[in-house]
Amino acid sequence: MKERYKKYTIEIPEEMSIPFAGIVESPKPNGEQPLMLTGGWRIYRPVVDSEKCVMCKSCVLACPDATVLLVDGGNKIGFNLDYCKGCGLCTWACPVNAIDRVPELDFEDGVPFQDALFLLPHVEALYADD
Amino acid sequence: MANAPEDVKLKRQAEEDAGALADSRTGTTKFLTGLGAAAHALKMADIDVASSYPIRPYTGLMMMLSMMAARGELDLEFVHGEGEHAQLGIAHGASSAGARALTGSSGVGVMYAMEVYSPISGGRCPLQMVIADRTLDPPGDFGSEHTDALSTRDQGWLLGWAHTPQEVFDNTLMFYRIGEDPRVYLPQMNCQDGYFLSHIPMKVVVPTQEEVDAFLPPLQFPDALDPENPLGHGPQLFPGQGHILEASRVNAMMGAFPVIDEVVNDFNSRFGTSYDPFVEQYKCADAEYVLFISGGHAYTAKFAVDHMREKGMKIGLVRTRWVRPWPTDYLADILTKFKAVGVVETNNSFGAARQCGILTLEVATTLYQAPKKPVLTAFMAGLGGEVIRLDEFYYMGDVLKDAAAKGSTERTAYWIGFHNV
Repeated sequence: MKERYKKYTIEIPEEMSIPFAGIVESPKPNGEQPLMLTGGWRIYRPVVDSEKCVMCKSCVLACPDATVLLVDGGNKIGFNLDYCKGCGLCTWACPVNAIDRVPELDFEDGVPFQDALFLLPHVEALYADD
Repeated sequence: MANAPEDVKLKRQAEEDAGALADSRTGTTKFLTGLGAAAHALKMADIDVASSYPIRPYTGLMMMLSMMAARGELDLEFVHGEGEHAQLGIAHGASSAGARALTGSSGVGVMYAMEVYSPISGGRCPLQMVIADRTLDPPGDFGSEHTDALSTRDQGWLLGWAHTPQEVFDNTLMFYRIGEDPRVYLPQMNCQDGYFLSHIPMKVVVPTQEEVDAFLPPLQFPDALDPENPLGHGPQLFPGQGHILEASRVNAMMGAFPVIDEVVNDFNSRFGTSYDPFVEQYKCADAEYVLFISGGHAYTAKFAVDHMREKGMKIGLVRTRWVRPWPTDYLADILTKFKAVGVVETNNSFGAARQCGILTLEVATTLYQAPKKPVLTAFMAGLGGEVIRLDEFYYMGDVLKDAAAKGSTERTAYWIGFHNV
């Protein structure tokens, strides 16, 4: 019986294996969880103008993914770009228009949609020849 | 019984063949409907969570379970959804947390939850859904067409039909054990025909709790939701990994074949039953042409086969217990032995190939590669949730006898109620 139906199963190479049912560890506050980065969904990247910023922290509250960080000893606003999806709610929440939305591909390390953040080993091998 | 009329004896024979009165079974004999049989089995399976939303005819099951919970007979978290979509979501969450979860629906209710089926099977949550088939609107008859549950056949659930309340009882236990096997971990649709099975009581032999406990150990779900150890459930993957996830879901479905074989045989040895893991063959040993059927109308069909055999017709009946996974090779071996196969469809697929129903599409694909193919036709019967009468089965028998002799049929699908009048 087992052998008979073996022809219908698909052999998944070990380097392509995924966790059972796609279950991964939860992202921790400001932490890393390498299996489900969402920064690659971003079309526009938030950029803060520190001159205009009044540190009201409205953007910290507005971010649905807790990716707005307090950096520089709590004196400046920064972003965790691994998880920022580019939704723009921080821009909308800012009372002094200090946060701009800049096209992702304007940056040298800009992320083409859903590409660079997650490359499977066999896909990476395909690109290696170029 | 010696002086009983011939048809009473035949009825008794058919019941014995159906396993309803099999001597080797021990336990308490009860008089239960299909829903009652499912409720008794679920109580013995010690389910943890049930989520409900009322729709006839399945809703009697939830009435019985809530009564059991209220009387303290069953330690059950009974949650009422605000619709079938929410109802399935509740069961999904409960199963993700490692509970043995149960839900159910009928007809349009099955359709309203459509979005949630794939996330549940993709998350590999081994919950069970009891479906008492109901005809979709219009006209929304109380009776049974299988189109509701068959519409979910591409959503990654194990999908199987019973044909007696006894089989409903047994399937309920077997499906949980198959779905909860670490080689499978898939949700199961435990289907029975609305009204014909769900509301007509028959004898059901109920084993002891100890026997059921030995057969069905508690669920061990890996990576169950736990506040102490937060996890991301509901496939947290990228579209680039989609094909890998889908391949693993296919492997789980195909990996169910040896598990079904093993579990059904274990059930047979423990409870003295004689189920074939995949396909029941009734009077097929010397048959030249067969009815292929799934579900409760097989009960009537067996009497029809008996009566036709009395007239010397070499007819048999093949009843699949599973639609997903579809037992391809198993069925190809069986069906190629006959000259003609007539698929009794209690469902409809508007505009399908040859304007047949859903099962004929599967049977035709099963037979396509076979070197020796039987003549294949479909019988669209029981539509609108109506009964299929004995004379309608006799008509199907005549068509098949003719097809076996000629090697062809006049029609690709015979609509019962139109050509046979």
